[in-house]
Amino acid sequence: MTSSLTSLMIQTVLVSRFVADNEIGFIESRCGKLPHHFFSPCIDWGSLDGERLVMASRFPFKLIGPRALPQRLNVATLIVLITSLVLLFSACIREEDITLEQRAHQLSGELMCLVCDGQTIDGSSAQIAIDMRLKVRELLEEGNTNAQIREYFVVRYGEEILAAPGGRGFNRLAWIVPVVIVVGAIGIALFTIKNMRDSSLKKQTAAGTSEAVSEYESDLDDYLAKVDRDLGISDDRSYSTDTSNKENL
Amino acid sequence: MADLGIMALLLGVALSAYAAVGAIVGEKMRMAELAVSAHRALYMTTASAAVASAALIYAFVQNDFSIEYVANHSNTFMDRAFVWVAFYAGNEGSLLYILLVLAVISAISIWCAPKRLARSMPWTIAILALTQLFYFSVLVFSASPFELLESVPEDGRGINPLLTHPGMFSHPPLLMGGLIAITVPFAFVSGALIAGNFGDDWIDVARVSAIIGWGVLGTGMLLGAWWAYTILGWGGYWAWDPIENVALMPWLVMTAFIHSIMVQKRRGMFRMWNVALLNIGFVLAQLGMFINRGGPVVSVHSFAASSLGLIFLSFMLVSLVFAFALFLWRMPQMKSDRNMESFMSREASFLVNNFLFLSVMAVTLWGVLFPLFSDFARDVSVSVSAPYFDRANGPVLLGIVAMMGIGPLLPWRKASARSLKQWFVLPIIVLIVTVVILVVLGVQRPVAIFSFAVVAFVAASIVEEWWRGTAARHRSGDNWALAWWRLINGNRPRHGGYIVHISILMLGLGIIGTNFYQQRTDGAIGLGESLIIDNYRVEYVDRGDASRPDRIAQWAEMSVYQIDPEDYRQEIDFARAQGSTGFTLKDSTRRPNDEMIDTIEPWHGFYLDFNMASVRSGIRSTIVEDLYVIPRDFLSDGRVSLAVSINPLAWWLWASGPFFIIGTMVALWPQPAVEKRPARSSLKPDPSIETEGEE
Repeated sequence: MTSSLTSLMIQTVLVSRFVADNEIGFIESRCGKLPHHFFSPCIDWGSLDGERLVMASRFPFKLIGPRALPQRLNVATLIVLITSLVLLFSACIREEDITLEQRAHQLSGELMCLVCDGQTIDGSSAQIAIDMRLKVRELLEEGNTNAQIREYFVVRYGEEILAAPGGRGFNRLAWIVPVVIVVGAIGIALFTIKNMRDSSLKKQTAAGTSEAVSEYESDLDDYLAKVDRDLGISDDRSYSTDTSNKENL
Repeated sequence: MADLGIMALLLGVALSAYAAVGAIVGEKMRMAELAVSAHRALYMTTASAAVASAALIYAFVQNDFSIEYVANHSNTFMDRAFVWVAFYAGNEGSLLYILLVLAVISAISIWCAPKRLARSMPWTIAILALTQLFYFSVLVFSASPFELLESVPEDGRGINPLLTHPGMFSHPPLLMGGLIAITVPFAFVSGALIAGNFGDDWIDVARVSAIIGWGVLGTGMLLGAWWAYTILGWGGYWAWDPIENVALMPWLVMTAFIHSIMVQKRRGMFRMWNVALLNIGFVLAQLGMFINRGGPVVSVHSFAASSLGLIFLSFMLVSLVFAFALFLWRMPQMKSDRNMESFMSREASFLVNNFLFLSVMAVTLWGVLFPLFSDFARDVSVSVSAPYFDRANGPVLLGIVAMMGIGPLLPWRKASARSLKQWFVLPIIVLIVTVVILVVLGVQRPVAIFSFAVVAFVAASIVEEWWRGTAARHRSGDNWALAWWRLINGNRPRHGGYIVHISILMLGLGIIGTNFYQQRTDGAIGLGESLIIDNYRVEYVDRGDASRPDRIAQWAEMSVYQIDPEDYRQEIDFARAQGSTGFTLKDSTRRPNDEMIDTIEPWHGFYLDFNMASVRSGIRSTIVEDLYVIPRDFLSDGRVSLAVSINPLAWWLWASGPFFIIGTMVALWPQPAVEKRPARSSLKPDPSIETEGEE
């Protein structure tokens, strides 16, 4: 139950992040220029109404409700907590904190140098790259937003000029698939663990007591108990098959 | 020499074909002698590959420009030490090199294979031989390095200038070697499956060979990043370029494998899963070969681009079909011995970590392939580069780092509330304290703060475990150093793993620092002028010419001063108002607090034959930050055009390398089989590496 609930949460969080992420124009109109960095760090607490921040922050709050948080913390919950924290922090950056040059540098990292095989204009010293870098700076000085500047180059050179596909039309796929992959992978992992756990619980109930511990496993128990002694820790840390636990099963 | 090389390769084709057929027929028809001779034939292919390689190297040493490959990748100016690099500098030579590595590790692995795998050995030999046969055939029929030129040129074209760097002695060989090394665990596991050897006999040999390949590949990638940082002059170290991605993907899968193989070893679970991971890893390594050699994607560094794409694509598809047909056929026999008991167990956390690794791999693969889909589906070219991968993979990579702190603290089977409390309190306190300290220090970016905190959390978990283990041994009489040493030695796979984890944390520090806090400015300065960024002043004091017949090259000498920004307040404010990060200063008078701290010599060369520029960045490195000066161009008016950046924590990226290598070696070091203390009598000796003879 908990696991399906948590995976549902992760899914919602990620999808909301994705949707928000791709409304780049919309966000920039609210919070200034987004760097194309992962997490797009936010320090602009003034823009708490920024779409993404609000969307992301809903989820941790849900978790903290009286009944939402499971009594025992498990891995899934930890993952959700961590993910939510990351998302809570993602939003946008205050414009005055970075110089125009810094912005130009970031934008140059988002534009491909079309004559130099997979390099951005930021890293290339080809003439066209130099010219484009100057153009970026010029457009910034004229007060254009990052989105407008990207658009400027797309109109002239085609979509290929963007180092990451934009979030519209067919290119939306480029961003949806990773979300599906990650959500799917975590979902499958949690589902597998749950299934395996349930069937092992069933087996134990049916057998009444724990199955005979195989020779290998009893070897392993001794070994692990020894490791515990060496580590100077109590038995329930490293391996829980000490006698009391066996009786419990 | 060319004749000798060709003969050796032809012999290799015959020998590997014989080994493959002989092993299979010998096994099926119960002809033991044939099987033995096939086994020995596989040793002989190593000799063939070695002779062919030696012939090529000899041709390079002799400047034998009648051989096309030698003429294309060497000249008389080339430093002789670079013969080794020239050997694999192009498509044909690198294929020969890969074959040589494959042949050598095949021979070593079947020599060292444990006796209890005897039943599946013929199949393992057949798979290794077939892979070798593929490379031998490609070398003989499609990409011979011994092709002769009709007219012998006076001098060769020379080696690709980007390759004339010390890093190139080891980066490409390690990378290619690491990729091909995945063949060995794959061959052992597939062999066991075909033979119906469903026990866990193959675990140790697969684990050891997988870790070797994984460590070599990881080291190769790190060296590549270092090379890019110092020589490519793009200012970065990892560009998420297709060629880099195809090396990263199998590495990620193998990382998942070497974690989950421990679950099979300890708990008898995840059998199917481990086999699937190896299959995926092997197929991805073949995908890497394909994309490297004439794949359909654009890359910064495809040194081996060729028309062999179709051949390698076919081989990749064949291995894909073979691996998964075998998997599906044998799936019913690969059930787990036990089941998972709790979410809060190490095996559960390993499964989650595995899926996170696989999702980074899959997202990366999707990013690499997306331009092809776009071309195909709507005939529009798009680019997928670093900004995409940073955003798509960044959060999951951080999640993986966090799992590095969580997983090892969880016990096998099931954690009790008490043990959770006992072990997680300290790391979580460290996490919170880190956040508080960083906020108090005025670090501004919450995501960076969070990332640093996760790194601190994981580091605390490792220190905690080492501390408790060492303290326990210390109480029983060992001094601290000895106690720690004995702790590490007591369980090398585990503690070697921790050392690797530490190296990943160091890498993480570097990545966070350079990604979030890099400052950068561009400018052109003449002699006597300075460029100022943050609290550095870079003064251009001297220049010189380093041209040689094949290149136009110049170097600059620059003094680096530590400055007090207050001395430059006026200029800094002016530059800020202009929107610039740094600024140039015409006068060369010292301000009161200027202090010279270093001299750097950036270098810029242009190679005429290759129409290609190559640079050496001037780097002043400290553990806090690198001052990084790329000479973009020496202008005709005497000025030099520079891109200067401050890369915080970049030192940690390269410092992680030795830890990565040491950790891998500790994890691989065979456990002592004989134990002295009676308390250890029940300890299972770890038969990681068995060195029995063949028959």
